[in-house]
Amino acid sequence: MKRLNWAGALAVLLCAWGAQAADMPPLPAAIKEAGVLKVGVRCDQPPYGYQDQKGEFAGIEVDMAKTIADWAFGSPSKIEMTCVTADNRIPQLNARKVDLLIATLGMTPERARVIDFTKGYNWGGSDVTVPKDSPIKSLADLKGKTLAVLKGTTQAAWLEAKMPDVDLLKLNSVADGVQAVKQGRAVGFAGDKATAVVIVGRDPALRMVGQPYAITEGGIGVRKNEPEWLAYLNAAIDRMRAEKMFGPWIDKWVPAENRPLFIEAFTTPKPAEG
Amino acid sequence: MTFDTAYLVAQFPALWRGLLMTLEVSLVAMALSIVIGTAGAAARQLRIPVLSPLVFAYVELIRNTPLLVQMFFIFYGLPAIGIRLSLFWSGVASLAVWAGAFQVENIRGGLSVVGRGLYDAGLALGLRRAKVLLLVALPIGLRMSIPAMLNTSISLLKNSAYLQAIGLRDLTFVAVDRISSDFRILEMFAVLLVTYIVLVFALAAASGVVERRLRRPFAA
Repeated sequence: MKRLNWAGALAVLLCAWGAQAADMPPLPAAIKEAGVLKVGVRCDQPPYGYQDQKGEFAGIEVDMAKTIADWAFGSPSKIEMTCVTADNRIPQLNARKVDLLIATLGMTPERARVIDFTKGYNWGGSDVTVPKDSPIKSLADLKGKTLAVLKGTTQAAWLEAKMPDVDLLKLNSVADGVQAVKQGRAVGFAGDKATAVVIVGRDPALRMVGQPYAITEGGIGVRKNEPEWLAYLNAAIDRMRAEKMFGPWIDKWVPAENRPLFIEAFTTPKPAEG
Repeated sequence: MTFDTAYLVAQFPALWRGLLMTLEVSLVAMALSIVIGTAGAAARQLRIPVLSPLVFAYVELIRNTPLLVQMFFIFYGLPAIGIRLSLFWSGVASLAVWAGAFQVENIRGGLSVVGRGLYDAGLALGLRRAKVLLLVALPIGLRMSIPAMLNTSISLLKNSAYLQAIGLRDLTFVAVDRISSDFRILEMFAVLLVTYIVLVFALAAASGVVERRLRRPFAA
């Protein structure tokens, strides 16, 4: 009886291993040769990618990167992570400093002209943070007003294209944006909803407008003309979904009160624009 | 990455607006900084009570703190105490206040070469000290300080690039903003470098003309 069980378990394991091996396309020669996954991650965007108190890389996207290293090279430690910022991440990729970006990278047509994207692994909406007593109830109320936004973000591009009558005050950091609202330099700050949730959670004098807009999907970024690598990473995302890895990562990195937003963003399809 | 000239041509209108903003904010700030510098140097030279130590404190404060911090203070800090300048005037104010401190010292330096005898002659003619400064010392001192004032003005023009940090749409803002969405780094920075060099050369040439004009003997 015991003997039979062992054989059965072995058979199941072999089948599972065989199925997985078949699921993952071959690793491109150039990547295989490097022997290490050179990945660009964010270092200032909890819970996606950041550095903890000890300076160690942490977050959902960091775990994604380690998992890909494990699948590609047999160990999650065969990885070389580089901190990238919103404006230098695409140059870092195209200058071959890293071979992929898992760095809160929204898939926009402008970016798709210079790099390729895998399929999306999460989606993110945008919101506007305003003072609690602000009369602004919807995006339409912003007409003719000054709105703070960060340079190079999807919100900036969306507002310029869809709401040209909003006057944009373009700044460099989230802290500047919040400061602009608090000092009355702008009626609101347009940014990622996930960031807005954190800001509003910390500051009771602020609230969100609550009208979804500029919904983008986040994908892994790779250089143009690397189809094998793109196929490999697409398969990796499929496998993360099939093995239901995102739920535990969210539990690990996101405080309980914000989890529903992240579960929705990582495990449900992108909604149509409201 | 190849150099894409067509891209630059397409971006010309935006860059042109940025250039005009850079010129506008810089020229207004330059004029104000010279006014601040002259008034401050006069207050110091005449040893006006209260005002003279205040000017001294202002110069030290501005020269010993980073310009970027001063800009953030004027744009984000002053509204908290009820002084709300527009984005444009916040930019002008921060550049003028910064350069003004240097101009005070430049003009004081110029005034220091005016001979003691000229002051004494003015006073002997029955002029008040303020009149001597205005009619005798400043016309000579200001000429002497033109090269130093030009230096400060060039720094002001270059430092106007920092204003992109508070969202003023100057030339650097336009380039950085376009780069963050179009990723044409080489083209944009090449344009920035060339444009700033041309602006600084033009400024130096203009001041050279003024300097040569003023160097003519008084009798001529």
